[in-house]
Amino acid sequence: MNKKRVNAVVIGAGAGGGIVAKELAVNGLSVVLFERGKWPVYDEHPNDELISQRTEVLGSPFGPDHEKNPRVVVEADGRRHIVTPIAGGYSNNAACVGSGTVSYGAMAWRFMKEDFQLKTIYGPVEGSTLEDWPITYDDLEPFYEKAEWEIGVSGDDASNPFAPHRRKKQPMPPFEYNHEGTVIYNAAKRLGLHPFPIPMLRNSVRYNQRPACIRNRMCCGFACPVDAKNGTQNTVIPIALKTGNCEVRTQCMIAEIVINEKGKAEGVNYFDEKNKGHFQPADIVVVSGGAIETARLLLNSKSKLFPRGAGNNYDWVGRNLQGHAYTGAFGLFDYDILDLTGPGATVALCDFNHHNPGMVGGGLLANEFNRLPYLYTNIRPPGSARWGIDHKKFQYEMYRRTSQVVGPIQEMPAFDSRVTVDDNVKDFWGLPVARLSGSRHPLDYENCRFLSAKAEEILKEAGAYHTWQSVGGRGLSGGQHQAGTARMGNDKKTSVVNRFGQMHEIDNLFIADGSLMVNNGGFNPALTIMALGYWVGGYIANNFSSTKFRTG
Amino acid sequence: MDKFSRRDFIKTSGIVAGGLLLLPCCRYTEQPYRFFSPEEADCIIALSEQIIPHDKYPGATDAGVIYYIDRQLSSVFHYDQQTYRLGIESMQLACNDMHKKLFQDLPVSAQIMVMEEMEAGNLNKYNWPGGNLSSFFNLVLKHTMQAFYGSPIHGGNKDYMSFEMLQIDYPLVIGQNRYNS
Repeated sequence: MNKKRVNAVVIGAGAGGGIVAKELAVNGLSVVLFERGKWPVYDEHPNDELISQRTEVLGSPFGPDHEKNPRVVVEADGRRHIVTPIAGGYSNNAACVGSGTVSYGAMAWRFMKEDFQLKTIYGPVEGSTLEDWPITYDDLEPFYEKAEWEIGVSGDDASNPFAPHRRKKQPMPPFEYNHEGTVIYNAAKRLGLHPFPIPMLRNSVRYNQRPACIRNRMCCGFACPVDAKNGTQNTVIPIALKTGNCEVRTQCMIAEIVINEKGKAEGVNYFDEKNKGHFQPADIVVVSGGAIETARLLLNSKSKLFPRGAGNNYDWVGRNLQGHAYTGAFGLFDYDILDLTGPGATVALCDFNHHNPGMVGGGLLANEFNRLPYLYTNIRPPGSARWGIDHKKFQYEMYRRTSQVVGPIQEMPAFDSRVTVDDNVKDFWGLPVARLSGSRHPLDYENCRFLSAKAEEILKEAGAYHTWQSVGGRGLSGGQHQAGTARMGNDKKTSVVNRFGQMHEIDNLFIADGSLMVNNGGFNPALTIMALGYWVGGYIANNFSSTKFRTG
Repeated sequence: MDKFSRRDFIKTSGIVAGGLLLLPCCRYTEQPYRFFSPEEADCIIALSEQIIPHDKYPGATDAGVIYYIDRQLSSVFHYDQQTYRLGIESMQLACNDMHKKLFQDLPVSAQIMVMEEMEAGNLNKYNWPGGNLSSFFNLVLKHTMQAFYGSPIHGGNKDYMSFEMLQIDYPLVIGQNRYNS
């Protein structure tokens, strides 16, 4: 059945898509914002570690359905596994209105100037598709600001000498350190480092008619019980709806982007909540499904001019899949260092993001989000008992005495780390599923070792009587911080979209999510994805009226 | 004549029906498991009790770990059913060869020795097509931890026993659990 034509279809109501929909709607464009999940409901899974977005043992509270959405993971030796969101290696991002921004830890990082120019600063890296972005930090700065003020960020850069310049302060004051944060802060200061409060997409004071954070213990992986965590679901999407120009269509699975014989997007074929097929015509299509589902949809959208998938004539769609190898160290203390105030992470430092001797990039370090009891059962010094009386004793004696300093490493883009589609494995709707393969660049592990050693030094200085490192950086990339699969660039032969997120060869098809990112920074990427949403959405809104992107 | 309302009728017939039907039903409710046979359950109870033993705090048996595993095997973890069935069988075979007893009937020290052998992968001759005792042990280990430390709504962690042990407040009440830094 055909639907009424609209100006824009936006696919995916997460960090990127929610913002694009709002930018278009307030500028008078008619928009259908598609979301495969539902509106998130707090009351369904408020206090359940096993069904949380961080520990998906029995289910994913904010989606997707683990029975309907398999993926294929290819191991280094070529063996293939079918995985679900509740099995390891799936790289899940929430499927609901707001997506990950409903249940994230909500760190609000701006990338540094250097992150946009890695190749210029560090030179080429063998075996990596490392490249400068086609835009700079200065291009994106006003859009970071917009994200901070419209979505809502608490923070203060004043004591971070490595912070990139900004025109305007963050709108809310920073959060106070918890007990662990204070101990780590003091230790870092003694070492001559530059710790400061983590910027957060949470309300430190009342903001946007919603209350201040209550420091709930169960925060990262959960929705907020008082709605003090800021995502697109409680900020920009309601604004878009209020204009009357935007309709959110939930529980809809997009099957393909329809590309006509002239190479223009005509709209999308999708299944509604009753699994009935429809065609939704639109002047333009914006894809914001996250780096894995966006790549999958492009690859599943085959047409005469693009027989290998939309915009994939040069085989770059789905390439350079990145995430964040998390790396750091643990320390045991002889007193209760944790007070379990939520969300746990309060202090960070950027001393090791760039200009480390002999290294390319680096990463931030911070104290970690609260570890809930089941997650903590896997945190033990090497050689410790995995079960029995000693394991149990460690659990109750050390639960509040274990500190973790950890950070995301800047991954080197690898051409063979990629998303393809598997024609032999179909999802509930009969669509070929995403297949993840390849592995991280060898440099990632080296960089992780460096950062973990720094984390351990801080914990030792903080007074830990025993420390150990946990070093990441090997194997398949992806995860919740997935990025890079529809790279922006100036050359259509080595990238997927131009600097505005517009497909090189399909003028009315745009991408606005982590897929665009040439590299993923040494930072949690949510705020950068939001800034890119404003950047792409603003460009579309400013240029839509003349041609609707349908000339040529 | 006596008034005999519709409501009274329903009440009376309910009692009669209950009296007639409930008694034979009770015989079957002695089997509380959805997936396990009583013997299989006893084996997993003994195994999980040594994974999280009772000390000054409750252990796996007290917390009802078996009910979590049994319930999840009948639903979300249905794909692990075969592993449990064959794993228990092969574990009992090993115990019989070594001690001429079922695992659950062994003294604790012998149970722990069997578990250490399983964990170390030393019982290769009891492998079955597609599985072995080492990975079975790791699976039960993982499920026991989930049951003991997860939310009681899934069958284990009875009355939030483990939360009490860790001295963390429970349950979280919307807007009520405030923490000061």
